[in-house]
Amino acid sequence: MTGSTIDHLISLTVFIGALLVFISLFNQTLQTAILYQRQRYLATKCNDLLDNIMLNPGIPSDWGESGNVPIGFGLQDPKFTHYALSPFSLMRLLSFAGNRAYYNGTWYSNVSWGVNGGYLFLRESECVSYDLASKLLGTNGTYGFRLTIMPTVNVTIVEDQSAADHLRLNITVIGQNSPLAGASIKYLLYRISASIPNFVNFTTGMASTDALGFASLEFHNMNVSQNKMAYVFIARVSAGGLYGVGYLARNAVTNAGTIVPYVENSNGTILLVHNPVDSNAALHFNASFYVLSSNFQIANGGVLNITSGPWLVNYGDGKPSFVLQIQPPNNGGFLVVSYWKEDGKNECGMVVVPWGIGIIGLSIVFGGDSAGQGWVATDIRQVAVRGIAYQARLALWSLESYEMMG
Amino acid sequence: MMRTIEIVLVIIIVLWAFVTASFFAVLPSPREVSPLNLRRLALTTLEVLNTNYSLSEIVFKPPDDPAWNDLRIALSACLPPNIVYSLTVYEVLTENETELYELCTSVSNAESLGIASDAVSYLVASSNVSFYAIPEKIGEHGVGGTLYILNCSDARGWWITGYTAHSLAQDLYNLLSPYFTKTIMVQNTTALGKILRGEPLSDEILRDAVVINTFGEAVPIPTEYCKAPYSNDNYARYCHFLGNMTRIYNWTWASIVGYPFYYVTNTGYFTGPNDQNSWGIFGMIMVAQRGMYAFLQGLTNIAYVTPDTSNIHKSVGVVSLSSQALESCDYYGIYPSPNQTSTRAISKSKIQNYPNLNASLHVFDPVSDGEGIYYPGSLYNHRIGARIEGSLLALGLTRTPDIRLTAVGLLSYYKPRLYRSEYTASNATRLVVLQLGVVGGV
Repeated sequence: MTGSTIDHLISLTVFIGALLVFISLFNQTLQTAILYQRQRYLATKCNDLLDNIMLNPGIPSDWGESGNVPIGFGLQDPKFTHYALSPFSLMRLLSFAGNRAYYNGTWYSNVSWGVNGGYLFLRESECVSYDLASKLLGTNGTYGFRLTIMPTVNVTIVEDQSAADHLRLNITVIGQNSPLAGASIKYLLYRISASIPNFVNFTTGMASTDALGFASLEFHNMNVSQNKMAYVFIARVSAGGLYGVGYLARNAVTNAGTIVPYVENSNGTILLVHNPVDSNAALHFNASFYVLSSNFQIANGGVLNITSGPWLVNYGDGKPSFVLQIQPPNNGGFLVVSYWKEDGKNECGMVVVPWGIGIIGLSIVFGGDSAGQGWVATDIRQVAVRGIAYQARLALWSLESYEMMG
Repeated sequence: MMRTIEIVLVIIIVLWAFVTASFFAVLPSPREVSPLNLRRLALTTLEVLNTNYSLSEIVFKPPDDPAWNDLRIALSACLPPNIVYSLTVYEVLTENETELYELCTSVSNAESLGIASDAVSYLVASSNVSFYAIPEKIGEHGVGGTLYILNCSDARGWWITGYTAHSLAQDLYNLLSPYFTKTIMVQNTTALGKILRGEPLSDEILRDAVVINTFGEAVPIPTEYCKAPYSNDNYARYCHFLGNMTRIYNWTWASIVGYPFYYVTNTGYFTGPNDQNSWGIFGMIMVAQRGMYAFLQGLTNIAYVTPDTSNIHKSVGVVSLSSQALESCDYYGIYPSPNQTSTRAISKSKIQNYPNLNASLHVFDPVSDGEGIYYPGSLYNHRIGARIEGSLLALGLTRTPDIRLTAVGLLSYYKPRLYRSEYTASNATRLVVLQLGVVGGV
C-alpha cells in the first residue's frame, strides 16, 4: 500500500514537472509566433500608411498652399498623380530635425537653421503637428511614426580654401549607393560685392561631374576673402532621369551681425530679423524673391524686389526686424537676402529662404521618436517633389505595450 | 513502479509530440518579418526616373547610346546599397491583333537577384508619338445631334450653390460639345422662347436635341409665357407645356440636380417684392411639387389637370453609380465620385402612373427601403411602341451639383464611340520591366 502511494506520488510529481517543462517549451514557440504575427502586421501597416500619406493630398487638397488646417492628412501634390509630393505641404510639417527656434515670444519650426546659409523657420502655429497628423491618420494612441523625406541625390557644395585669389566651388554628387558620374550640373549664382551692395549680379552656367561625381567650378572674378563678396549658389544635377539639387549661401557674420529670416505664415509674410554682434550697428539689406520654374529657369512673375532700398535693421536702435510680404508662387521659389554694414570694413553676406521643400533640396523629419520603442517597422518609397528625386522613409511602431520575448 | 513507467511513457509521447510539432512549426526567417516592399520600390523608382520623361526617351535609344550608361548610374544612385536591379526593355509588337514582346535591351548590376526579388512592369510611350481619341458625334449618322445648354443671363439658379449657371454651362460645353454635332448656348429666355416655338437659333436641327437646364431646381421661363394659361397653378401649366414640347420635338431634357421644375425664373419679369423662392433668391416663383407632375403629364401626352402636391421624391441618402455609368466613366475618362447623396430620388410607383414612361437608364442604382423603390438618378423615355417621344434625365442628388454626372448620364445613354489611335503602334511603345533583389542577410 505504502509502495503504491509512493509510486503514485513520484509519478504525479514527475508528470507535473514534465508538463510544466513542455508548456514552457511550447510557450516559447507560441510567443515567438505571436510576436512574428504582430511584427508582420506592423510591417503591413507601415506599408499601407506610407502609401496612404504619399497618394493622398489631404483635405482640403490645397492645405499646404492655403494655410488651412487640414481635416485629412496627405502629402501628395494635388496637381499631380502617383508619388509626387507637394513642396508646400511638406513645408508645413512641424520639423523634428533640430531644436525649435524662438523669437519674440513665438516658436518656429526649424527645417534648416542656417545650414549652408539656408534658413527655413516657419511659425509653429502654421504647422501641422505630429499629434494632429496622428489623429487625422487614425493612428493616435495606437501607433507612433516618423516620416523622413530626404533627397535621393546628395549635392554637397563647399568653398575650396586653397584658391586664395578667387572663388572655387567643389561640388560632390552622391546617390544612395554610388556617385553620380557624368551628371550634368546647371547652376544659378547670385552675388553681391560689398563695394556695390545694392546690385545683385546674376549668373547661370552648366558643368558636369567626373567619374567620382565631383566637379570644380572656378569663378575668377570673385574673391570672397574678408567677406568682401557674398553669393547664393544653387545647382541642379541630373543623370538618367534622376534629379537632385543643392545650394550654398555665404552667410558671413559681419561686424554688425547677420539677418535671420522667419516665415510667419503661408500667405508669404517673412520677418527679417537682425541677429546682431554689436547691438548699436545697423545692418542694411536687400531682398528679392525669385520664382523657379519646373525646368530650373528663373521666372520673374510675382517677384518681390526691394532693392531700391537699402532697408536696414538695427537691433540696438529699436528696429530689430523688417516685415516682408511676398506673393507665394504656385511653382515655388526662393528669397535671396543680401546684407551688409556700411562702414569702412565693407563686409557683406547672403542667405536664402526656399518657398517649398525641394526648391533647394532641404530634408524633412516629421513625427515622433522611436527611441525606447519595442520594434520598429520601416518602408521606403521613391517620390518626386517638383521633379526632384526624394526618398520617403516611414518608421512605424506600436504604442500598445507587448513584450518582445516571452 | 508501474505508474512511474507509465509517466515516462507519457513524457516520451509528449516529447515526441513536441518534436513533431516543432518540425512543422517553422518560423519564418527574420527578413520575412518586415520585408521591404520591392514591388512598390521598383514602381516608384521607374516613376521618379520618368518624372521629366527621361526614361521614356532613354528606352527608345539604341543600346550603345551613352544615355543607357546614365540610366545605369541613376538606378544605382537611387536604390539602397543592399538592392540590386535588372532592367529589361521589350519592344511591343502588334501582329494580327496579338501583342508580342521582343527583347530590346537589358541592364543589370548583379549576376543574380539575391535572396528575394520582385518585379514591376511599366509601359512607356515614345515622345515622338502622340496619342489621341476622336469622338463620334451624336447625330452624325442619324437624327438630332444638337445640344442646347440653358445659359440664360436673365434667370437665376437654385441648388447650384457655389456655382453660377454660366460656369456650369461652360463646364458642360467643355465636357460634351466634342460629342455633339452642334452645341448651342441659349443665352437668354428670349432665345429659349424661340426654340420652344420650334424655331432654330441658327442652322441646328431642333428635333431630337438634348436640352440641359443648368439652373438646378429652377427652370427659365420666357416672358411671353409669363401669363395665363401658363401661369396657372403657380406656373405648373408652363411645366406641362415644357413636357409637351419635349415630347413633340423628342428632346432629352436634363435636370442636373434636386427636384426638377420646382421654380420658374425670369429676372426681367419676376421683379416684385414677393417674387422670390422663399429663401431670398429673387426673380423666381415657386411651383413646388406640381412642376414635376405637370411636366410628366405633358411628356406623356396627358391633358393638363391641376397636379398633385404630394412629394414625388424621397431622401434616400448615399447612392452608388450603376455599373453602366461606371463603365462609361472608364470609357470616356470622366471620374466623378461613385458615391453621392440623393435627397430627391423619384418614386417608381409615382412614375408608373404615367403611361408609356419607363426608366431606360439608371445612372445610379435604384434604392429600395421597404416602402418602395426609388430612382436617385435615371433617364426616363416616353415610348410609343418602339418610337421614343421625349425623355427626361433627372438627377435627384443634393446640392451642390457635380456637373460631370450629367455628362456621364448623357454619354451613357447616347454611347458615342471614341476612335482612339493605336496605343501599341509599332516602335511607339516599350515595356520596361524592373526587377529588384535583396542581397545580404538571411
